[in-house]
Amino acid sequence: MQIQEALIALLVLGPLVFGLLMLTGIKGILRNAVVAMAGVVTIGAGVALPFYSGATAPDVGLPALITTAGNWIEPLIILTVLAIGFSIRSWPVRIMALIQLGLCGAGLIMARHEAVEETKLVVDSLALIMVLIVSVIGSLIALYGIGYMNVHEHHAPATATSTNRFFFVLISFLGLMNGLVLVDNMKWLSIFWEGTTLCSFFLIGHDGTTEAKASARRAITINVFGGLAMSLGVFLAAHTAGSESLSVVLTKGPLILLPLGLFALATMTKSAQLPFQSWLLGAMVAPTPVSALLHSSTMVKAGSYLILRLAPSLQGTPLAPVIAIAGAFTFVVTSALAVGQSNGKKVLAYSTIANLGLIACCAGIGTPLAYAAGVTILIYHAVSKALLFLCVGTIEQTIGSRDIEDMGGLLFKMPLTTNVAMIGMASMMMPPFGMLVGKWMAIEAAVRNPVVLILLVLGSALTIFFWAKWLGRITTTSYHETYKIETVSPWMLSVLTLIGTGVIAISVCATLIYAKVIKPISLATFGMDTCPGNISILDSVHSFLGWPMYVVFGTIVLALLAGVLLFKPSQIRLPFLCGENLDLDDHSFTFRGIADAPTSAALTSYYLPLFEESKITSWGNPLAALIILSLFGVLFI
Amino acid sequence: MTIPTTPLTLVLAILVAPFFGALLSGIDRRITARAQGRMGPPILQPVYDTIKLFRKEPILLNWMQIVYAYLHLLFMVMAFLMLVFGKDSLMFLFVFAFSTLALVLGGMCVRSPYSRIGSQREIMLMVAYEPILILIMIGFYMVNNHSFLLSAPLSAARPMLLSLPLLFVAFLVVLAIKLHKSPFDIATSHHAHQEIVKGITIEYSGPHLAILEVAHFYEMALLFCFIVLFWASPIWIGILLASASFFLMTVVDNAFARLTKMWIFKFMWTSVLLLAMTNVILLYWASK
Repeated sequence: MQIQEALIALLVLGPLVFGLLMLTGIKGILRNAVVAMAGVVTIGAGVALPFYSGATAPDVGLPALITTAGNWIEPLIILTVLAIGFSIRSWPVRIMALIQLGLCGAGLIMARHEAVEETKLVVDSLALIMVLIVSVIGSLIALYGIGYMNVHEHHAPATATSTNRFFFVLISFLGLMNGLVLVDNMKWLSIFWEGTTLCSFFLIGHDGTTEAKASARRAITINVFGGLAMSLGVFLAAHTAGSESLSVVLTKGPLILLPLGLFALATMTKSAQLPFQSWLLGAMVAPTPVSALLHSSTMVKAGSYLILRLAPSLQGTPLAPVIAIAGAFTFVVTSALAVGQSNGKKVLAYSTIANLGLIACCAGIGTPLAYAAGVTILIYHAVSKALLFLCVGTIEQTIGSRDIEDMGGLLFKMPLTTNVAMIGMASMMMPPFGMLVGKWMAIEAAVRNPVVLILLVLGSALTIFFWAKWLGRITTTSYHETYKIETVSPWMLSVLTLIGTGVIAISVCATLIYAKVIKPISLATFGMDTCPGNISILDSVHSFLGWPMYVVFGTIVLALLAGVLLFKPSQIRLPFLCGENLDLDDHSFTFRGIADAPTSAALTSYYLPLFEESKITSWGNPLAALIILSLFGVLFI
Repeated sequence: MTIPTTPLTLVLAILVAPFFGALLSGIDRRITARAQGRMGPPILQPVYDTIKLFRKEPILLNWMQIVYAYLHLLFMVMAFLMLVFGKDSLMFLFVFAFSTLALVLGGMCVRSPYSRIGSQREIMLMVAYEPILILIMIGFYMVNNHSFLLSAPLSAARPMLLSLPLLFVAFLVVLAIKLHKSPFDIATSHHAHQEIVKGITIEYSGPHLAILEVAHFYEMALLFCFIVLFWASPIWIGILLASASFFLMTVVDNAFARLTKMWIFKFMWTSVLLLAMTNVILLYWASK
């Protein structure tokens, strides 16, 4: 087990060390090299860890020194938050930080006479999945960041903080995330939890513009609120259960309902569930690697991860149905919000929130099938969404706009990025990609709860709407004889290609992933013999993932082949414009309008007024707040 | 009772379905013509039309159109086979939806205003009817001993129509949308009164249009078989039911004027959805 411990140390502390190297102010190639090295080392360690982790004994003991150190680091982190509260002159942050400090002190005083508890790491399959996502996807995004920030640096606003500090925070974040998913001690959990909040604050505010500052402020306010719920939960749980170990606390069942509710609230703020979504949307002002890394595929997943951890303990409590409804409600409302958006990054953000809602909903439903659905979505969403964010970032940097309506003809301007983006979008909604399998399992799992079910059904219909619109827009193109691959930093293009290939690969391997990872996790979490009916459904999922999956893949390949083989350039004609075409440029869609003036046909997609942001949030937020209040209301019934 | 997946049944299903669909379409045209005081074409006219289309020179705006046409057809065939061989109902719906989505994307990948607006409207229609279809599957699940398999209705002792009357009515509305019948023919239409000409399929011609036609025949066969499931034993009642439904579609088609997209969307997400939900909730209530 020596190797396993070394790998974990590398995963948690390695990024911090590399990050600190950044602060020495290295520039140019040296900086690129250090970031690349940090990425490669983290990927290597992350991939190696599962091979050195025994499935039967997931616990790794830690020296008592680390528990003691946690007692000191926690107040330090809270003091940092407090200092930020003073520097941005925010009373809510200051007050919440002070309360947290008080809780921290009270906890220390109450635990003074008890023996120092042994801390351990839980390296089970769920944690390993998260480590893989964080270290592989996270590091790839950091590598992409090398190319992106080299360009961004040159036209960033003068107020922007240094790129070195940016990388320091970005890379250290990977370590914090790895710590968060592995650690079992609740004190350390809240340290890492607050740590990711701080990273998020610094990175969102990176550009230093008024908008960036306002977004950073909103992010820290909402996340410190979540942190407060977390600290309060930890305090109460440790007091009730007499232990700081999360795994011990979670076995106490009905005793810890209030802390469980508080933990659930914290996960909702972190994964930006309604009505806390505004910080995630504001976060899109940050450079693309930030929105890809923190706000789509990793940090927000901390919330999803924790709610999945809590799921078995939530079962049978009055909290579970409320969490399921809250998640499903977020899923449908944010899907509707995405329909009305033409800002590409906002569409991605809303779709992210929707999928996180779906995971929370699965955790609330809490059957083995639902749990498997949640884990499936957790894995596939992270990869696909990271890819899409990076694609939009590349597109934005090249065409200077993130508006979907400006992305016509993109297939000609940026063939590689657009093709990769098409794969990403298809993987979010189409068979045979993993996301659809997850959604399918989620709907089948929700069938016992009509309210959740109807919300999921409506939400998934809306999902098709905004993806199809966007996918159609980027593929719209006239005929061109040759395509030239765009000139974008090789760091960015190679990462895009790599993740794009990865998206296809993990969907091709879906059978294997399902049989070897997802199903065992679900069965281990709920016990082998709890609900035999559900296990047969798990098996039926497996039977679908077998050959029908490959038939679907084969069909797509066949259709692509048909396109390539049957096409002849001589067959190309102009579009139908009532015979009034003007062939000005090549295969244009300009026609003779009134008084023979050349007129271009306008082609916009539907962004229906019914789905306007302000309209939907005006009723969505209060309703969501009500659902969350009822989360605590049910405890008193 | 389930239909065994042998190579013979597979080939049979693949070969027979398009002719059956073409026949339905021929009958539809004949009835419409008679309703309008015309003689109408021979019943097999759709088959002749399609064969003729296959022999024409292909004309295109870009090569992706071909890919989408084949995706539309192949996924439609796959959805049809999933229905015939009784696979998971929700996955069947997803494959079916993807087939339509391929058609939509085929219409959107070209720079043509008519085809684009047709595609946008088709997406609206999809969003409008997709929840109803999923609710129908939930209804199937509830009455078939909690099984999502489409083979379950075939062995049901009690015809499903008796438990799912409201869902059946909701399905009839979806059927009208899927067949592009008035008042829902906003994306494309067989009638000449369309302001967007042929809408979604306008830029397809020759053999590629023929591919879409064949896909449509499969779609008709699929929808017909789906209605049969509502009264699967004895199966002749189901076939009568399906025939009556298709006849009803033709009548409705000739009796209504077109609606706007928002009207359809709101109608589907309020009245029809409520209808479907009432049926599903009653089933939940009965099972408690």
